[in-house]
Amino acid sequence: MLPDLLAVGVPWAVASIVLPLAVALAAIALGPHARHLVLPGALLGAVIALAAAAQVLAHGAWHHAVGGWLPPLGIRLRLDGLAASFLVATAVVACGVAGFSRRLFEPSARRETRAGFAFWPLFFVMWAGLNAVFLGADLFNLYVALELLTLTAVAMVALDGKAETLAAAIRYLLFALLGSLAYLLGVALLYARYGALDLGLLRAAAVPDAITLAAGAIMTAGLMAKTAIFPLHGWLPPAHAGAPTPASAMLSALVVKASFYLIARLWFDVLPAAATVETSQLFGALGAGAIVFGSLLALRQEQLKLVIAYSTVAQLGYLFLMFPLTGSAAAPQPWAAAAWTGGMFHALAHAPAKAAMFLAAGLMIKACGDGRLAPLAGIGRDLPIACFAFGLAAVSLMGLPPSGGFTAKYLLLTAALASGQWWWALAILAGGLLAAAYLFRVLNRFLIAPAEAAPRVAVARRDQAIALALAGVSILLGLASLVPYQLLQIGRPAAAVGGLS
Amino acid sequence: MPVLVLSTSLVPAIVIFFLAEAQQRTRTLVNIAGALAKLALVAVMLDGVALGVAYETRLGLLPGLDLLLRVDALALLFLTLSAFLWLLTTIYAISYLGQGPHLSRFFGFFSLCVAATTGIALSGTLVTFFIFYELLTLSTWPLVVHQGDARSIAAGRRYLAYTLAGSAVLLLGIVWLESRTGPVEFTVRGSLAGVDAPTLQAVFCLLVAGLGVKTALVPLHGWLPAAMVAPAPVSALLHAVAVVKAGAFGIVRIIYDVYGTTLLHELSLGIPLAAVAAFTVIYGSARALQQDDIKRRLAFSTVSQVSYIVLGASLFGPYSTIGGLAHLVHQGLMKITLFFCAGALAERLHVHKVRELDGIGRTMPWTAAAFTVGALGMIGVPPIAGFVSKWYLGLGGVQAGHVWVVLVLAGSSLLNAGYFLPLIYRAWFVPGAMDRAPGRERPFWLIAPAVITALASLGVGALAGLAMSPLGWATLIVERNYTP
Amino acid sequence: MSRTGPLLLWLTFAGPLAMIAVAPLSRRPLRLLPWAAVPGLATALLAPLDIAMEQPAVLLGLHLRLDRMAAVFLAFGSLLWVLAGAYAQSYLAGSGHARSFAVFWLLTLAGLLGVVLAADVVTLYAAFSLMSLATFGLVIHDRTASARRAGLVYIVLAVLGEITLVAALMLAASGADSLLFADVSAAVARSPWSTAILAGLLVGFGIKVGLVPLHVWLPLAHPEAPTPASAVLSGVIVKAGIIGLMRLVPADGMPDAWTEMVVVLGVVTAYYGVLVGLTQTDAKAILAYSTLSQMGLLVAVLASGLAAKAAGTLDAVTLYASHHGLAKGALFLAIGVVAACGARWRGPVLVVTALAALAIAGLPLSGGAFAKLAIKDVAGAGATGTLVAVSAVGTALLMLRFLQVLSRAPGKPAETANWGLLVPWAAAAAAAFAVPVLWGPDLAGKPAAAAMSVHGLWTAAWPILFALAAAVFVLWRRWRIPLAIPRGDLVVLGETLLRRIGAGLGRLNARLARLFQRRRRWPAPSFDGLDTLEAALRRWNLAGPALVLVAALIAIALTI
Repeated sequence: MLPDLLAVGVPWAVASIVLPLAVALAAIALGPHARHLVLPGALLGAVIALAAAAQVLAHGAWHHAVGGWLPPLGIRLRLDGLAASFLVATAVVACGVAGFSRRLFEPSARRETRAGFAFWPLFFVMWAGLNAVFLGADLFNLYVALELLTLTAVAMVALDGKAETLAAAIRYLLFALLGSLAYLLGVALLYARYGALDLGLLRAAAVPDAITLAAGAIMTAGLMAKTAIFPLHGWLPPAHAGAPTPASAMLSALVVKASFYLIARLWFDVLPAAATVETSQLFGALGAGAIVFGSLLALRQEQLKLVIAYSTVAQLGYLFLMFPLTGSAAAPQPWAAAAWTGGMFHALAHAPAKAAMFLAAGLMIKACGDGRLAPLAGIGRDLPIACFAFGLAAVSLMGLPPSGGFTAKYLLLTAALASGQWWWALAILAGGLLAAAYLFRVLNRFLIAPAEAAPRVAVARRDQAIALALAGVSILLGLASLVPYQLLQIGRPAAAVGGLS
Repeated sequence: MPVLVLSTSLVPAIVIFFLAEAQQRTRTLVNIAGALAKLALVAVMLDGVALGVAYETRLGLLPGLDLLLRVDALALLFLTLSAFLWLLTTIYAISYLGQGPHLSRFFGFFSLCVAATTGIALSGTLVTFFIFYELLTLSTWPLVVHQGDARSIAAGRRYLAYTLAGSAVLLLGIVWLESRTGPVEFTVRGSLAGVDAPTLQAVFCLLVAGLGVKTALVPLHGWLPAAMVAPAPVSALLHAVAVVKAGAFGIVRIIYDVYGTTLLHELSLGIPLAAVAAFTVIYGSARALQQDDIKRRLAFSTVSQVSYIVLGASLFGPYSTIGGLAHLVHQGLMKITLFFCAGALAERLHVHKVRELDGIGRTMPWTAAAFTVGALGMIGVPPIAGFVSKWYLGLGGVQAGHVWVVLVLAGSSLLNAGYFLPLIYRAWFVPGAMDRAPGRERPFWLIAPAVITALASLGVGALAGLAMSPLGWATLIVERNYTP
Repeated sequence: MSRTGPLLLWLTFAGPLAMIAVAPLSRRPLRLLPWAAVPGLATALLAPLDIAMEQPAVLLGLHLRLDRMAAVFLAFGSLLWVLAGAYAQSYLAGSGHARSFAVFWLLTLAGLLGVVLAADVVTLYAAFSLMSLATFGLVIHDRTASARRAGLVYIVLAVLGEITLVAALMLAASGADSLLFADVSAAVARSPWSTAILAGLLVGFGIKVGLVPLHVWLPLAHPEAPTPASAVLSGVIVKAGIIGLMRLVPADGMPDAWTEMVVVLGVVTAYYGVLVGLTQTDAKAILAYSTLSQMGLLVAVLASGLAAKAAGTLDAVTLYASHHGLAKGALFLAIGVVAACGARWRGPVLVVTALAALAIAGLPLSGGAFAKLAIKDVAGAGATGTLVAVSAVGTALLMLRFLQVLSRAPGKPAETANWGLLVPWAAAAAAAFAVPVLWGPDLAGKPAAAAMSVHGLWTAAWPILFALAAAVFVLWRRWRIPLAIPRGDLVVLGETLLRRIGAGLGRLNARLARLFQRRRRWPAPSFDGLDTLEAALRRWNLAGPALVLVAALIAIALTI
């Protein structure tokens, strides 16, 4: 019975969007009792994602025409290796965060808190938005998913209602809307020029004339604002640091990556011909700037969550290093598209690691009641599992073996050195060392023997175990990296091998 | 089989991490069981490899890029050393740390560290070597920082700064090479074809610089003396068994299994490396002369002694390689003896400075005797192990046409005598302070490891002619793999 | 016998080593000492010649061989060790550190036996360094300030000697195809660094023998050691250097430039020892300087004999060394006996000691004369021959000076007689007379009667008569010895020089440390500029334009 479940016709893609929406609606209906729904919903979402990935592995990439309408009228969902791997990554992180926050948002008997009520619907709508972005093959459909994502994310940031988080949320909203509008403007230009919104059709028709280039530039700038790349990252740190722990985990791990995913789709799937060497070098420069700037600022923070937020800014810089390096795997490597796969691997490995780090940090802050680094001294004795999870996640972020981060770093480095662009290789290595600097500064705190034993709030070992599991996934990605590699290669765009011209 | 050996230290590590602090006995049991199991497996493999049996396991990371664990003669040399000394260091650490804090964390990382060393010994490709090389850094850092006071945190930070910078340089070298030749596997006499000479030279410099940090070659040795603040079992582990040896072992692998002596000869890279190693030998001994803290003096002595191995390897002569490889084991045995004794003295009599050593011979005769054997071995007094490897290094140097090697060895032995003999003199011939009543040599398991390793270094030296001795095994390695 | 031969060899070696294990634990370690060398003595006397033993597993291949030279050295060495051991038993009866003395005594014996029996270079070096290091324990036994200074000078020179020796052996062995003496000495001759090797060997063994510039430790160490130890030091251990030279110097001799240099060095040492010895006031110091000069003489004879390819050089040197060993041992023991016995015994003791002393100078009818005759033949007629002959005068003078000082030494009240010391001393004196005559002939290749011939008697007698005449003349004129050279002469200069260098190094080191310290304080980079930029980026009036700027940049990049 199993094989035919994976037949091409079975709509796993659609299910992966519909299920979270359904659960969200049910959560609104159940109100305070929504949390009983969480675990089955999350697990079902994970099963769907895995089934989609298995389907792709078994039968390769395929398009699902929603409602049977073919483009340019109908909307298609595209399920290829890249989309499937991001689906699985989202499912893993979402399950982790769901498990982690199941007891966090219990409705207190006295009065109904906004968080208790609103968290789960927002969580599942965000999950649906993410899946929609990864699967979308139609530019406007992607815009809708992007907006869905942004609104839920802003609402999540403002969930606690603290004064400074509200200011951060509003700033995040303005930035995100500015970005989305720029994206919409670009979509409109493309639609005006080509009369089609489907990625496949656009690619066939794309001609590097003035309008297309302008649209591409504006869309990329808008998406960069949403991905918080170096000059436009101002909104991310206060928003991600101020948000409640599960929210900041989802934001940093996944939401920020959705817009990067779109940039990658845009340049590799839609406009590979239009891209020039200068653009990819510009992207690389912005990425390198983000790495250095984000790391240096992370070194100077005193708040634990701010350190992790700035680390996100830095790690996103790595993703943009992918653009100048594609198309450079020289003959001797037995694998093609080293840079493209490396970049995507980095995004995949970064997600569980960053989520684990935020969850572990949340536990530690709850344990010692203070967000600053200093009181964390000697917490290694009280929360050993959480510290170990933080350590493993740090190993992956630094790109030290045996973690997924290392495999990504290895692929990017090989591409850089094979293509002779040694300066990107130095940027990557410098990024690794700087990450080591600001992460070991935090890890040092865990091992310092405190002068007097500070009072600690007891934290459930189960929550620490979830953080450890997520960090373990990131390490596992380094060791069992063959299957994800093969999944990524299915339906890989030609530009990934040939390079952005 | 290789995965089995690796798991004998990985599994205990994971188990111990989850043990509560109070479960002292189970933790000791798991530790000792792991160590004994590893020793048994190594014994099985020893005669297996001697008969030519090949053990190998492959795990695909990326298409073409494998995590390869392969047991060859060179791997076994390093593996036997670390397995034997790990057992002793564990026993020593258990009685040394007694009821100290964070013991589960300590022994967890302790076993992880030895698992990493096993991985380094067994690695079959450059990437596998790098993975375990990094795992070693990550697992030794918490050990250095174990006490948690300001000094050890500063030492830990310095250790990380050196080793992580070194690993970045090493990674750059490895990837640069592999971006030209595809994933590199350790095959007999290297397999680099079609790469232009300047790149090969640049890559060799990067690789040696990266490995040089852990081998404590001179400009990169700063972390070693600073890491002396760690508890004695850790410094014993760092110096004699794992970290320093991993660097030297890596350089030997690079010279013989990645490049091959003929290629290095054409690139004329042997002499500069030999020169750096020789300078480190002399510099390390000279600096050791000035230290008045015992462990810092031993640390600088390690800096100089490990460079013997590099010197032996960089001379490309069969004799000098045998000398270098044998010294890998000999130095391990002798240096761990010295550290065990220094640790026992610090623990039982709170002796840290050289001038506090007066009259140790009467108070702790067994420890002092073990220290004397180790120190004399370091100077190169026959029949203790040090002499044998120095003899072969000298012979190899002369046969390879570099007579100055004999001068370096003579000078270094002189300096060794200069900083070790006063210690022995104070221990035995200078009457000590009256409060040191004899009979302080308790508990047994704090003193026994030092005596065992001292006897081992004496036995290894005296019976160097045996086939199964480190010298015999090194000769087997050189005859089987590296005779040009 | 073939089976027991190697067994006996192994027993000689294993005996002392086994006792070392027992000594630290036993309550009365000194009782072990006399028995340690007995296996060695038995092997020397009973074992047939040219038996060999090989243990490939031990230390790069252990080869022991008992050839004629080794048998003679083993015989007189073990004999002296047995007697000195018995002597030490009562000499050190009450003193402290008995256990440490026993351990070092046995270690030195083991080392010596190794040197005598070794047949390959590595075993020789191993035994040589074991012996040198263990001797330090004997020298410093009394733990007095002067003993520690002597020990320091000794260990510094011993370590220097060992390291030079191992360097030379490495150079030599690298050319040889095996480690056996024959191959190594052949390799020395043909190797491109033969001069360096010979220099290394000369320095390495020269320090042990006490050639002039390297002799400074000998007059300091021998007197400081307890009497039985100094007897053994002067009698046997000093000869290890001679054994080493005999084994390793190429059979067809050193290049002639070398030979002259070594002969000159030997002769200078011989006369220097006599001159400085005469100025000494302590009996043991005089004997030490006499050993120094005798060894110089032997080295000169060895070098010239080898160069001239004179037949029987090695045998003659061995004969002379054996006689000198036993006689010098007896003299050292006599010092202890004179101090420990009463006036009644002083007379006969002095007479016998005088006989032994003059025997060294070649008293007719004594073993010494016979030995002197043997080395005269080897030294040949030329300059070295005459110098050797004339040196006998110097030695005789030195011996008379020794007897003068000894007779004035304080003794015990009339009747006391310390039999523990007397018997071993008497046996040693008897051995000094009898033994060389026993095996003398076949070593010197001449019948004992040759010494009896008129010519033989006269050549032996004139130096002593001349010395006696000179001594009487000096006493009659009551000349005082003008000069009082401090013991160890050159070392005093050396020490002041070293102290000054040490101070200079200390100052340099301090300055370096201060420099090193200052370098570390470079200012930490301040990144405050970053925070202001970060805050600005967050404000709206900069974020908006930043977005437009990025869009423009991408557009420009696209259109280039």
